[in-house]
Amino acid sequence: MAPKDERPDTPERFTVSRRAFLKTTGISSLAATVVGVADADAQTPGARAVGPGEVPVQLLVNGKRLDLKIEPRVTLLDAIRTRADMTGNKRVCDRGTCGACTMIVDGRTVYSCSTLAIEVQGKQIRTVEGLTRGATLHPMQQAFCDADGLMCGFCTPGFIMASVALFEKHPQATVEQVKKGLDGNICRCGTFTRILEANMKVRGVARA
Amino acid sequence: MQGRGNQTPPPKAPDKYLWPDKPAVIGTSVKRLDGPDKVAGRAKFSYDISRPGMIYGKILRSPHAHARIVAIDLSAAEQAPGVKAALVWKQPGAEVMFQGDEVAALAADTEEHAWDAMRLIKVDYEALPHLASVDQAMAADAPAVFTGGNTKPGPVQESGDIDAGFKQAAHVVDATYSTHVVTHVCLETHGCVCEWDGDKLTAWVSTQAAHGTAQGFAQGLQIPQTNVRVITQYMGGGFGSKFGPDTQGLICAKLAQQAKVPVKLMLDRKEEHLATGNRPSAIAHIKAGVTADGKLIAYDAQSWGTGGAGATSNFPLPYIYVFPNRRRTHQDVYINAGQQRAMRAPGHPQGCFLTEILMDELADRVKMDPVEFRIKNLPDRAPNAMWGEYFTRGAKAFGWDKRHATGDSTPGPIKTGFGCAANQWGGGGRGSKAHCDINADGTVVMKCGTQDLGTGTRTIVAMVTAETLGLPVSAVTPEIGDTMYPFSGGSGGSTTAASVTPAIRVTAFKALDALCAKVGPALGVDAATLVASAGRIHVKGTPSKGLAWKDACKLLGTEPISVDGDWMDGLSSTGTSGVQFTEAEVDIETGIVRLKRVLTVQDCGLIVDKLTTESQVYGGIVGSINFALYEDRILDRVTGQMVNPNMEWYLIAGMSDVPQIDIILNNMPERGVIGVGEPPTVSTAAAIANAVRNATGVTMRSLPLTPAKVLDALEQEKAGGTL
Amino acid sequence: MKAFAYVNPANEKEAVGALGPSGPQGPSSDVRDRVMLIAGGQDLLARMKDYIAQPDRLVNVKNALDATITATPDGGLKIGAAVKIADLADHARAAALYPALVHAAGGVGTPQIRNQGTVGGNIHQRPRCWYFRNEEFVCLKKGGNRCFAPAGENQFHAIFGNGPSHIVHPSSLAVPAVAYGAKFRLVGPNGERIVDAGEYFTMPTMQNVRGENVLAADELFTHLILPAPGNVKHGHYEVRYKASHDWPIVFATVILAMNGNTIQSARVVMGAVAPIPWRAVAAEKALAGKPIDAATAAAAADAALDGAKPMSRNGYKVQVAKTAVKRAILQAGGIKTA
Repeated sequence: MAPKDERPDTPERFTVSRRAFLKTTGISSLAATVVGVADADAQTPGARAVGPGEVPVQLLVNGKRLDLKIEPRVTLLDAIRTRADMTGNKRVCDRGTCGACTMIVDGRTVYSCSTLAIEVQGKQIRTVEGLTRGATLHPMQQAFCDADGLMCGFCTPGFIMASVALFEKHPQATVEQVKKGLDGNICRCGTFTRILEANMKVRGVARA
Repeated sequence: MQGRGNQTPPPKAPDKYLWPDKPAVIGTSVKRLDGPDKVAGRAKFSYDISRPGMIYGKILRSPHAHARIVAIDLSAAEQAPGVKAALVWKQPGAEVMFQGDEVAALAADTEEHAWDAMRLIKVDYEALPHLASVDQAMAADAPAVFTGGNTKPGPVQESGDIDAGFKQAAHVVDATYSTHVVTHVCLETHGCVCEWDGDKLTAWVSTQAAHGTAQGFAQGLQIPQTNVRVITQYMGGGFGSKFGPDTQGLICAKLAQQAKVPVKLMLDRKEEHLATGNRPSAIAHIKAGVTADGKLIAYDAQSWGTGGAGATSNFPLPYIYVFPNRRRTHQDVYINAGQQRAMRAPGHPQGCFLTEILMDELADRVKMDPVEFRIKNLPDRAPNAMWGEYFTRGAKAFGWDKRHATGDSTPGPIKTGFGCAANQWGGGGRGSKAHCDINADGTVVMKCGTQDLGTGTRTIVAMVTAETLGLPVSAVTPEIGDTMYPFSGGSGGSTTAASVTPAIRVTAFKALDALCAKVGPALGVDAATLVASAGRIHVKGTPSKGLAWKDACKLLGTEPISVDGDWMDGLSSTGTSGVQFTEAEVDIETGIVRLKRVLTVQDCGLIVDKLTTESQVYGGIVGSINFALYEDRILDRVTGQMVNPNMEWYLIAGMSDVPQIDIILNNMPERGVIGVGEPPTVSTAAAIANAVRNATGVTMRSLPLTPAKVLDALEQEKAGGTL
Repeated sequence: MKAFAYVNPANEKEAVGALGPSGPQGPSSDVRDRVMLIAGGQDLLARMKDYIAQPDRLVNVKNALDATITATPDGGLKIGAAVKIADLADHARAAALYPALVHAAGGVGTPQIRNQGTVGGNIHQRPRCWYFRNEEFVCLKKGGNRCFAPAGENQFHAIFGNGPSHIVHPSSLAVPAVAYGAKFRLVGPNGERIVDAGEYFTMPTMQNVRGENVLAADELFTHLILPAPGNVKHGHYEVRYKASHDWPIVFATVILAMNGNTIQSARVVMGAVAPIPWRAVAAEKALAGKPIDAATAAAAADAALDGAKPMSRNGYKVQVAKTAVKRAILQAGGIKTA
C-alpha cells in the first residue's frame, strides 16, 4: 500500500507543506513574485501584473484555507493535487472535456483543469474530499457504492461532484434531466447505467 | 496474455474444494470493497502517489510519422530551472517510426518546469517517406518504409472445396467490409512513480500485470527481479494496453536513478493516444454463398488490416459460423503509426462485425428471419456454445417478433430497426498463487499478487475466502496489487477471475484444514468431519457441535495459521458464449444513429459477484457502442499525424448516448469460474449496424457509423442499392 | 503551458489599459499574440496547454466586464460579455424574447463549460479546427503557408467560402446573434464603437487570416445588444453526432417576421458551415411572402445550400445543413419535425 499521510487536514498541514515545498524549489523563487511584461507594465493604468514567477495564492477548499505559492499558470486542479496532495479529483483529458477534474466552485461545477487557481481566490471550492463527514459518505457517494456506479474509479470523483451539484440544484430532476446534467463527464469503463441509477436512488426513484 | 501455464498438468482440486452447491456468498451481489475509498477520493492510484522529494518526468516524442534523428541537444534543457535529470532515448542516426515515438526525456522539480525545459530540447530530424494509411502502404508505388516490406502475408486457411461450394450456392454476396483503428483511452494514463533505495527499485505502476511489470523492469534495466517491487493498488483502466513497464517505465526508472530522487512520469492524453496501443483495423473482401434453403455453403475472404508500425492485425473470420467450404487469407499492413496492443477481446469485435453484417445480408437473400437463419447455421451446441438457446431466449425477451422486414416503411425521417449478433470468448486462466493468514484474534488476510482493473478482483478475493471459511465478506481482508504477494498473472483475456479464484479457494481451504486440525482435538472429534459455515467451525450436519469462529481461532495461541496455496484444476474452465440484440433509430435526413435498447444474454460460468459481473457487461456494451458509433483514430492522410489526440474530437459516449441496457446472465456453476470482461464488448457494434440496416434498408459495411457514411450509403441505395 | 504574468483589472478602463501600449498607429502587431484576455478560459487554457497560444500576459476580464443582462429602453436586451453561458441559458426574460439564442446557449458544451464559459468568450473562442489546435500543423492561422483541410481530414470543415482558410466559426451564440440583428459594443483606448453582428466576423483573406473578426488588438468586446424582436417566430436547430457533449455538425437559426400567417421577411443563418456565421440570403428571399409549411421549408433549405462547395470528406454536411435549416423553419412554425 501507499504510505498513508497521517497528518490531519488542518490549515497547519498546508503551512507545513508549503515550507517543505519552498525548501525544495529554493528561496530564489520568492523574489520572482512581481514580474510583468516590463515595458507594458509601466504604462498600465490598471491593476498591477503579477507573475510569471510564484505568487501567493489563497484558496478556500472544503471550508479550509490553503496558502500556496504558485505561478499564475497553475490550474486549480494541479494546485490542489500537487501542492496540497488532495488527489481525489483526477487529471484525465486536461482540456476540459472529460469531467474527471470536476469541482464545485461557489455552487457550480467547473472543470478544475481549465480553471486557473489564481482566479478562484475567495471562492468556496469543494472537492470530492469535502463530501465525507468523518467516516460517513455523502448520500451520493453511498448511492454510487450501492448501485456499483463505478469500476476502475478514475472518473468517479468527478462524476460524483457533478452528481452532487446537480442534486443540490435540481433535487427533483427527471431521468432525462439527470442525463443531460451529467453529459459533461466521461466514464471509460462504461458504468453510465448505474451512475444514473445512483442519481435516481438519491432522489428516491428506484429504477432509472 | 493467458495466465502462466505450468509444464506439468496442475493437480486436480479435491472434491471438497469444489464450489458449494448452496453458496452463502458466491453468486450474490456484493458491493465492491474498495468502493468507499474510490468514491471518497481516498484511493491512491499511481497518478496520485506522492513521495518525499519526488520530481516530474516528461518524454519528448517525435512529431513526425517517419524520420531519422540527426542531432539531439539537451544542453539548454539541462540548464533550465529545476531540471534534475535528462537523457537521450534514441541516439542520432536512429529512426522514429511514428508520431509519438520516444526520443528523449527529462525530469524537473515541478511539472511546470519540466514543460518549460521540454521546449528547450533541440532535435534535428531528417524527414523520411511515410505511410499514413493502409491504402498508401498497399499502393503499387508505395515507398519501402518497413524492412521486409510494407505488408506481410499470413498463411492460407482452407477447408472443403471452395469451387464446389459456390456451385451449390443459390445466392452469393460479394462485398468489402471494414473496421477502423480505435485507442484504449484509459482514463488513468500509462505511467508510474519510480523510487530507488540503493539498487532496489519500488515502482507504483498503472498496470494490468504487477508481477509481469516487475519482470519487465528487471529485464529492461538488467537488474535482478528480486530487486524490483511493483505496487498497483488502484489503476484507472487498461483494456489490454498495460502489461509491462513500457518505455515510459524504463525512462522513469532511469531518470530516478540519475536524479537520485523519486520520479513521477504519467503520460498526457495525447501521448496516450499516440503511443500506448490501439485496436488494429480490419478490412476484408468477402464472397459468401448460401443454399436455397438457407445453409451457409461457401466462403472466400481476403482480409488485411494495420496494427501500426510493424505490428500484427489478424482476427478470427468468419467468426462463429460454419461454412463447410472456406478459404481465408490475411495480410498485415504496416503504416507509420503507433503499434497495436491487445484491446478488450482482441480480434473479436472485428471478426464479429465482418461476419454478422454478412449474415443479415445472406438471411435476406433467402428471405429468412436473421435469428432463424443464424440458429440454422450455428456450430453444434456445447456448454461454451449456447447461442441457439440464447437467440431464442433473447429474441423473446427483446420482442424480436415486432421486428419489421429490412427497411422501416413508416413515414417520416426517423427509422427504427432491430439487429442481433453473437459473441464468443475463451476466458479461463491458471497459475495464480495465494497466501492466507488466520490470526488468533480471528482476523483473516488473503494475499494474492493480482490487481484490480475495476473488474472487482479485490472483492471476489474476499468473497471466495469468506465463502470457504464460512465468514461474512467483511471478516476478510484481501490484499492484492503488490509483488510482495504471491504470483498472479496479468489481467488480460478475461482470465483474472478464473486464475485467481481457484487459488484463493485452495489456499483458504488449506488454512481452514489447519484450523480444523486445532478445533478437532479441542472438540474431541475427527477434524475431517468439521466444516465452516455461518461463522462457526462445526461437525458437518450438526451446527451446535462446534465453536464460533473467534473461539476456534483462540486455539491458535501464539502461532497463527500461515499457508500458501496454488491454482488447481477443476474450479474453472474456459469458453463463453453470448448474444445481443439492439434497437436503433436512424435519422435519414442527418445520418445520425441513436440507440434505444440493448439486450444481452451472456454466460461466464459460475458467477462470483453478480453485481460486478453485471457492471462488466454494461461496460463491455458501452465500449462496443463507442466502437460502432463514435471512436476513431484519425490520422492526417498527408502527414500521418493524428488530428484528434484528445477527448474532444476523439468521441466517447456520454450519459445521453447510452441506451437502456438489459442483461440476462446465464449462471453455469457446473462449469466453474470463467470470466466476462471481454465477451460483451464483441458483438454490440455488429448488432447496431444490423439494426441500422433493418431501419434504413441500407447495408452499413464499414465502422464507425458516422453521419457521413450513413448518408452516403443512403445515396448509394437510391442510385442502385447496397443490399 | 508557458508561464505568464497575470493582470486582474477591475473595470473596462483598467482592462483596456492592461492590453498594453497603444501608440498613434494603434497596437503593435504582435500584441494580440503576447497579451491575451481570459474570461471563462474554456478555450484559451486548452490552447495554451497545447502551445497554440503562448501569451506573456493574461488579462482576466471577468471582473472588469459586465456580467449582467439588462433591458434596453427600446425593449431589447443588453448582455454583458462576462455573463456566464449558464446564466443566459436560464434567463427567463431572454428566453421569452430570444428563444433561439437561449436554446443555443443551453446547447453549448457541457454543464461545466456553461458554468465557466462567458458570452464574450463563446463569441471570441478560436476555431475548433484540429489542424489549428495541434501544434504539429503550422497552418495559415499560425503563420504558416497553407490550410491543411483541403488535402486532409476535412469532414468538419467549411462548405462555404473559398479559403484560404477553411475553418468553421465555432460560436453557437454568434449565429442567433446575427439572426436577431444584434450589435456588439467594443471599447478601446479611444472610446467605444458599435458594430453590427453581421459585419463583425471576417471572411479569411491572406491579410486577415490569423483572426476571425474586426476586434482590434487594443479593444475589448463588452456587450451583445439585441434589438426588440418584434412580431417574429424563432427556430433554432442543431445537429449533433453524439447526444452528449459534442460540437454541432451544422446548426441553423431562423427568425421569421410574420404578417398574419405569411412570412414577411426572414433571417436564416447557419453555423458550422463557413468561417463566419453564414447568412443564407437566397433562403431568406425564398421564404418571404410564403406561409410556413413543409414545401416552403424544403425550398428554402435547398436555396440555403445553393453554392455550397464541399471538399473531399464534408459533402454530407450539405444534406445535414439542409435538414437543419428546414427543421428550424418548421420549428419556428410550430410544426413537429424529427
